[in-house]
Amino acid sequence: MQAFYGVGIVLLSGLALAFAAGIIVGEATDRWFFGGALVGALLITYSFIILLLRKMGVIGPRKAER
Amino acid sequence: MSTVTAHPSRYGRFMTGLLRITLRLDTFIHKLYPTDFNPLYYTGGLSNLFLFILVLSGIFLFFYYEASLAAAFESVRYISDEVPYGGIIRGVHRYAADGFIVAILLHLFRNWFTDRHLFSRDNPWISGMFLLLFGGLIGFTGYQLVWDERAQVLTTMFLAMLRSIPLAGDGLAKIFMGGVGIGEGTLVRILFLHIVPASTLYVMLWWHYLRLRHPKVWPPGVWVLLLVGLVFLLAGVIPATSGQPATPAGRPTSFPMDVFFMVPFWLLNWLSPGAVVVLGVLLFVGGLAVPYFSRRETAPQMGVRHAGVAQVIDGNCTGCELCYFDCPYNAIVMVPSPGPGLSKAAANRTLLAVILESRCVECGICIGACPFEALELPKFMERDVRIEIAQAVQA
Repeated sequence: MQAFYGVGIVLLSGLALAFAAGIIVGEATDRWFFGGALVGALLITYSFIILLLRKMGVIGPRKAER
Repeated sequence: MSTVTAHPSRYGRFMTGLLRITLRLDTFIHKLYPTDFNPLYYTGGLSNLFLFILVLSGIFLFFYYEASLAAAFESVRYISDEVPYGGIIRGVHRYAADGFIVAILLHLFRNWFTDRHLFSRDNPWISGMFLLLFGGLIGFTGYQLVWDERAQVLTTMFLAMLRSIPLAGDGLAKIFMGGVGIGEGTLVRILFLHIVPASTLYVMLWWHYLRLRHPKVWPPGVWVLLLVGLVFLLAGVIPATSGQPATPAGRPTSFPMDVFFMVPFWLLNWLSPGAVVVLGVLLFVGGLAVPYFSRRETAPQMGVRHAGVAQVIDGNCTGCELCYFDCPYNAIVMVPSPGPGLSKAAANRTLLAVILESRCVECGICIGACPFEALELPKFMERDVRIEIAQAVQA
């Protein structure tokens, strides 16, 4: 399962990189809605990376909830 | 201890069914998310998150918005089309408003179904009803500010509702319009009704948290990222748009529906304005009364007796503050100790716990929190509990 999560994190990181590149493209070409949507997509991708890191046990839970 | 003599009512059984569904939903979510990431544990925090997004994006929009009949529509178009990322921020504001209402409703239903609105929790429930009411008003006035055809017809319908109120209706309508008809002062008033209640929400939140010791005011980071990302994604993919600009001669008869803010106006298809106002008032008053009329079982039915307000045993209190931190009802305060305690552990104390009797709900949490036997429920002593346990074991 750990390997599955690890692969997921690598794939999501690649996706996040693509979204970040898209934001730059959107900014360079003044396509603000495109860039703004990709900001959202990037944040959503980050949230799933954090979820997988948590499931792997790399981060959390918070002290009060251990 | 009294025994259970009456069966729960049909309402009680129905609410128990809803409680089971709520708990099953938790179990399902825990298969996907760790328990500390369960969004249903943070529905209040999610509402706060959306409110924070609304305030930030609202401040941005406020800098560009012009509150006049001639310029409002054009200023919104300028924000959407010409201000860099202005259309995105407008969309974020619009979708965060929907998210705010959804999060509030989730919060309301979860606390209702899990009985977290009863007894001493009536204060958060009632303040929450006001938060919902104001949230709806703010969302509705937000649609008016665009001043397109939908805003125009909404304003006409709202005025019809105001005028249907006996005695005060015409006066309220006049105050709302800033004169005998919709004029230059109207949008300034609508902007006022949009921003001031939004600011008031934070005062109401203070009221909401007044009796809660450890409110979860913010969701976990994973949900902050997901939801902020979602509103940005929606704002980019399905941009917030305006209809045709409002005109004095325009008489639009239909408009795009928003299920979160326009249900009262949708009801006008079948009901008179006065009936919609009466229905709204009944719903609100009924909502306020829920904590007092929705108890599933009485205390005797639950086999609970009156335990008496908790009392501090002065000689044993060490001033450690554990009870103070554990009490969910803010019913314990720590005061400077007037002298040393009697026990060895309490000899060097500097603080002493004091119970605020009006806030104590006799739950016994402080008894469990205290390692020094410095608290007791006077009508429910430890020896009573031991006797009951012994009797139960023998039976």
